Amino acid sequence: MNAGRAAAIIVAKEVRAEFRARELLNTTLIFAFVVVVIFSFAFDPTTAESRRFGPGLLWIALLFAGSLMLQPSFAREHANDTLDALCLAPVSPFAILLGKIAANFIFLSACEVLLLPVFAVLYNVALLPVLGRLVIVLMLGTFGLTITGTVFSAVAAQARMRELLLPLLLLPVLVPLLLAAVEATAGLFAETPELQWTWLEILIGFDVMFFTASWLLSDFLLQE
Amino acid sequence: MKNFESLFIAYMIVWGIFFGYQVTIARRLSRLREDIERLKAQLETK
Amino acid sequence: MKNSIWQSLVVGALMAVAGYAALFIAPDEKTMHVIQRIFYFHAPAGMVALIAFTIVFIANIAYLINRQPRWDWLAVSGAEVGIAFNSVVLITGPIWAKPAWGVWWAWDARLTSTLVLWLLYISFLLLRDLMADPDRRAVFSAVYGIFLFLDVPLVYFSIRIWRTQHPQPVILGGQNSGLDPTMRKVFWFCWLAMTGVMAILIHQRYKLEQARHEFEELRLRAEQLSAEEPGVSPPAGAIRA
Repeated sequence: MNAGRAAAIIVAKEVRAEFRARELLNTTLIFAFVVVVIFSFAFDPTTAESRRFGPGLLWIALLFAGSLMLQPSFAREHANDTLDALCLAPVSPFAILLGKIAANFIFLSACEVLLLPVFAVLYNVALLPVLGRLVIVLMLGTFGLTITGTVFSAVAAQARMRELLLPLLLLPVLVPLLLAAVEATAGLFAETPELQWTWLEILIGFDVMFFTASWLLSDFLLQE
Repeated sequence: MKNFESLFIAYMIVWGIFFGYQVTIARRLSRLREDIERLKAQLETK
Repeated sequence: MKNSIWQSLVVGALMAVAGYAALFIAPDEKTMHVIQRIFYFHAPAGMVALIAFTIVFIANIAYLINRQPRWDWLAVSGAEVGIAFNSVVLITGPIWAKPAWGVWWAWDARLTSTLVLWLLYISFLLLRDLMADPDRRAVFSAVYGIFLFLDVPLVYFSIRIWRTQHPQPVILGGQNSGLDPTMRKVFWFCWLAMTGVMAILIHQRYKLEQARHEFEELRLRAEQLSAEEPGVSPPAGAIRA
């Protein structure tokens, strides 16, 4: 079975499992929304400042929600011992990892699709003129977050205190991604929206580097 | 010679960190070595 | 034990000599005078920390290739020593900044990157702390360590661009702008001394890890032997290190 098909099957399995329960998607979405609202109380969003804080707030909400959502990715397998079963299948470890990454990416993107309009309303941001470019930034950022988060979830699943550990492992590593995503988004929300290439390059560089590393190290990640 | 106190404190801290780390390791190492010798002796008597 | 005493003395001596050079041999700096001398420890420590973290990276890769425990020992040693040097940078930075710029922390590119670097490798050590099984710990911390090191250039690069786009209110007197030749010699001498200290510290920490490993093996053997002879209790006491 080639890697692509295997990954696709795993994605389907994850998505189906999640759709039946739907708890992960709902909880993540609500949590992201809560973060946005709570931060607003801390930072008093008048129009002028909301322009400045908006992008940062959006990405912080996504990062926090993401790092909580990605944890069950492997912990669930651990709890049910299904990881061994997966590894016994005649499928490359990378295909399994890819499947999980893809599934997490879909979940997180679904959250973003629902969160974005709410955010735009609360912070009076004009989304439509920059929507295409914003989607690019969001996808690049989410992809980086998902790759790193899924891989680190596999690492954290081996340790104690994994719920607290995953954000701790993840957030410092994501600093370049956070910076680039926030600055790129800020560029789009500015008076004259522009897509800044430097930040896009960093996002792309991050994604490529970490995706390649995941591929090369996938054998070690999925052993029991 | 303004700020000499700050400089002095800084140097003391730096020196303290390295020397302290070294001494901590050395002490733990010697204690471990004692434990190892003890265990070896115990195993030999069996 | 005697070996360790010698090594402690060498560390002390290296630091003392470097300190002497920095305090008395280096010429006085025009604008910041005495406090500028922190630079001779502050900057080299940062470079040495990066050397230590590079050693961690190499050890991580080596471990994943041949699974020999000594690479894992080297990795944890490099990480701890790297954190020590990194902490020096983060402590001396504000001590220098307050008299020089008026603020403890200015979120300048280099210091901020050092802060992130510190967080990255603290997470590395924390991860190891939370994993009990030595083999699993070695593998997974090696994988995590590799990701960390790949992140480092991204961190430096992105933070530098971030800071050039949002210039800080405090003016950074160029730390390396036009170093007088004596200053440069003192700088590299201190760097050399600190690299020596790094090597000794890593070596010591490595021996400690090696000893722990030996102790664990002996303990396991003792437990196996006592399991075969009922009535004999296994040696008491967990590792005190």
